[in-house]
Amino acid sequence: MESVTEMSDEYKRELRHIVTVSGDTELLSAPAYYYAARKAPSVNAMISAMAIVQDELSHAHIAYCVLEDLGVSREWLMYEREPHEFRYPYAFDVPLDSWVELCVANAFYDQAGFCLLSDVHDNTSYGPWKRGLVKVGKEENFHLLHGRRWMKRIANSGDEGRQLVCDAVKWMFPMTVEWFGLPDDLKTHSSQLDYKMKGLTNDQLRQYWMDSIVPFCDELGLEVPVHRNADDTAWELEYELPVFFDENEKRWDLEHHITWDQVVTRWKGRGPRNEEMVEEIQRSAGDFSWMFKDL
Amino acid sequence: MDPEVPVSLVDLGLIYDVRRLKGRVEVDLSFTATACPAMNFIQEDIRERLLAEPGIKEVSTQVVWEPPWTPDRISETGKKQLEGFGISL
Repeated sequence: MESVTEMSDEYKRELRHIVTVSGDTELLSAPAYYYAARKAPSVNAMISAMAIVQDELSHAHIAYCVLEDLGVSREWLMYEREPHEFRYPYAFDVPLDSWVELCVANAFYDQAGFCLLSDVHDNTSYGPWKRGLVKVGKEENFHLLHGRRWMKRIANSGDEGRQLVCDAVKWMFPMTVEWFGLPDDLKTHSSQLDYKMKGLTNDQLRQYWMDSIVPFCDELGLEVPVHRNADDTAWELEYELPVFFDENEKRWDLEHHITWDQVVTRWKGRGPRNEEMVEEIQRSAGDFSWMFKDL
Repeated sequence: MDPEVPVSLVDLGLIYDVRRLKGRVEVDLSFTATACPAMNFIQEDIRERLLAEPGIKEVSTQVVWEPPWTPDRISETGKKQLEGFGISL
């Protein structure tokens, strides 16, 4: 599929939805990462973090340009929606309070993004998005490598560093597990798969993410609540989804079982940083034509 | 290798000089931009790779900015690889 003239209304609707989620995810990762980047331990570290923030904005731009071709206004996408109308993973609403947490976010969240976008690039039926994702994939690869390098460096720097990494992993691993959405047996419709906008299901993507990140955590000696199942065909979580997350303490209670309805309520209600981050982005809206009138 | 687009540093023309004296290797290198986000990574990668060679005990990397790197320092191989990744020069 190369242009909007070829597509049915339903295809267009589903495509707009999936690309909006992708674009919003990239856009909101920028302020989420930026706040933590300010705690960089050195100038070079800050440069790396800011390059990542800049990349995320360019990725959002690519997705929003795809949406513009599909008849969605970029002005509306960026500046006219309410904070709770943005469709990015709940994870970014939980503050990253330190450099360590930013690095674990790069290793975990950017890996999740990489898995999602690689799947789309490999399988999507919509040509312009597929081509737009080539650059995105390369850059996300750098982001996750950045995260991994720093995790390794900090975890191996001594007891204090190791504890900091462990503490971050403790809440961010289950947070990324839920990034991939509802389990397959609860998905009511599969239009995105039927229209080949993506290739893998939510559960398959979760497995793909764990294939990528669990061996790395094992290599660093970091405990994560997952192991291979009995016939070694898949990763099995050591807790039963869904479980309770205390967003004020940034803590999971893996024994406290809740319902998926309660999870969706949390997702839709957005988290602590949602309004602040969207306001930060929308502050830049305005009429800047006065800057150019003399040119 | 560049950590973002997998082309070797040598093909990118970033390695300006390599000197070896017994077990010590010194590498002079530059970057494509003064605010390259991967400066530490690349130097770590070089150190790690060279230390894996038998007989090499010490690696020192020195970042130099003269002469400034320009794309014409990229080898033919490098150029072809970049084109394959959609980067034209």
